[in-house]
Amino acid sequence: MDASLVIEIDRSREEPAYEQVARQIREAIATGHLKPQQLLPAVRSLAADLGVNLNTIARAYRLLEEDGFVQIRDRSGVEVALPARRATSEAGAALRDELWHVLMRMRQAGLPPPAIRREVDRQLDKLLSPHTERER
Amino acid sequence: MEAWSVWIVLAVETVVAGGFTIIIPKITRRGLLFGVYVGEQHWASVQARAIAREWYAGMILGVAASIVLGAGLALGYPTQPLAVVSSLLMVLTFTVVCYLRAHFRARRLAVAGAPVSAAALIVDAPAALTVPIVATSIGALCGAAALGYAWMHYADMPAMVPTHFGISGRPDAWAPRSFGSVMMLPLMAAVLSPGMGLMACLTARAKRAIRQADGGVSLAAQLRFRRAVTVFLSGTVILVSLLLTSMSIAATRVALGLSEGLPGASMALTGVLLLYAIGGSLYLMLHFGQGGARLEKAAGSAPLTNGLADNAHWVLGVVYVNRDDPSFLVEKRFGVGYTVNLGNPRAALLVILFVLFMIGVVWFARSTPHTSLTPGS
Repeated sequence: MDASLVIEIDRSREEPAYEQVARQIREAIATGHLKPQQLLPAVRSLAADLGVNLNTIARAYRLLEEDGFVQIRDRSGVEVALPARRATSEAGAALRDELWHVLMRMRQAGLPPPAIRREVDRQLDKLLSPHTERER
Repeated sequence: MEAWSVWIVLAVETVVAGGFTIIIPKITRRGLLFGVYVGEQHWASVQARAIAREWYAGMILGVAASIVLGAGLALGYPTQPLAVVSSLLMVLTFTVVCYLRAHFRARRLAVAGAPVSAAALIVDAPAALTVPIVATSIGALCGAAALGYAWMHYADMPAMVPTHFGISGRPDAWAPRSFGSVMMLPLMAAVLSPGMGLMACLTARAKRAIRQADGGVSLAAQLRFRRAVTVFLSGTVILVSLLLTSMSIAATRVALGLSEGLPGASMALTGVLLLYAIGGSLYLMLHFGQGGARLEKAAGSAPLTNGLADNAHWVLGVVYVNRDDPSFLVEKRFGVGYTVNLGNPRAALLVILFVLFMIGVVWFARSTPHTSLTPGS
């Protein structure tokens, strides 16, 4: 595992601490810095290193599990989940709905359609970059 | 001659203890000044250097004064225990006074607000616990052997049993046979050895205090330091266990009339333990620095994170109390090694039990009627 892979909690931000943790782990998984089946620190260990309540980390891991990013195992801890081979129709519909809402918000925020398209392409390139694919 | 030899030993102890304390600011992690997080930039400022200079001057003066005054008291009143250890007590007092003065001056430079929390997403290797678990097992076995040996021979012991041994290894204090006078040393072996082993195990899992965005350098330094401290403590556990057990068994044998004093091995073990403790501590301080400070090099200018950097959770820079933090042991801000998080109920309970045990030992030592006469006279 990459020893320089560090997650941070900035208490001056409005985003709750558990969401900051979940977001950074999600990004590390999506960009291939965390590989499938890789073990993550136990709740107590990560909470101790970050100096936060156990519930903060437990909640972040539950959120990641609900999103399919990790699997929580009773004895062997928490590991990065394998990406699903095919999205279920319900999951696909929910994610399409989420994307639709994000696109609407971008449009409402004043971004012109070409800029929205460029941004979507840019993010997709980032997700599917050779580095990310190789890491996977 | 006896008084002189005792004073020389104590003078050496005073110089060693004082010397260790004086160099602490030199081995502390960048950003920490006498128990206060002042930030990496202020750490090297003119004000910070002035505070450190005053510390060095005060401590050098304190050590010198402790040796001179302690010599006078130890040689003038050689039979008074407090006079004999006066130089050590004085250097301790000087240390506290100099530290508090430096700490309160450093507070004016303190960084305000909550720092960023950071943690590496790496899993501790289970093998890291092997050495401390082996040491704890040896400690527990030694303690059980000491207790068992004393218990088996309790009924055969005479009315007076030895309770203290002089530098020569011969008993110099005796007490009437009782459960306490016979079992104190074996009980200390049985409690202290595994207790210290437990601390070594907890050290192997102590909080990893890293810096923000330093490419993993502080984490690597921290892990190397933590491993070294764990191994050092494990070695101490083994040596202390062997020493206490050998002394306990020897005391029982002296009481039974099977031997006249402590065996040479016990005396040699005492010397080995002292050399190991002094040499090991010096190695940790000078090679690694506190928390791996000396291994961080250029990365030391990156900001420290939660725990170490959070001034709100430290009392006088030496006691860490954070109820949200589930850590048991955290890195010391001033000193070498780790300290307990008193905000963790289990850590607080362990400290209370240890304090009660030590109070019990002192209370027992004071309440047992001792005599310096030999049983025959």
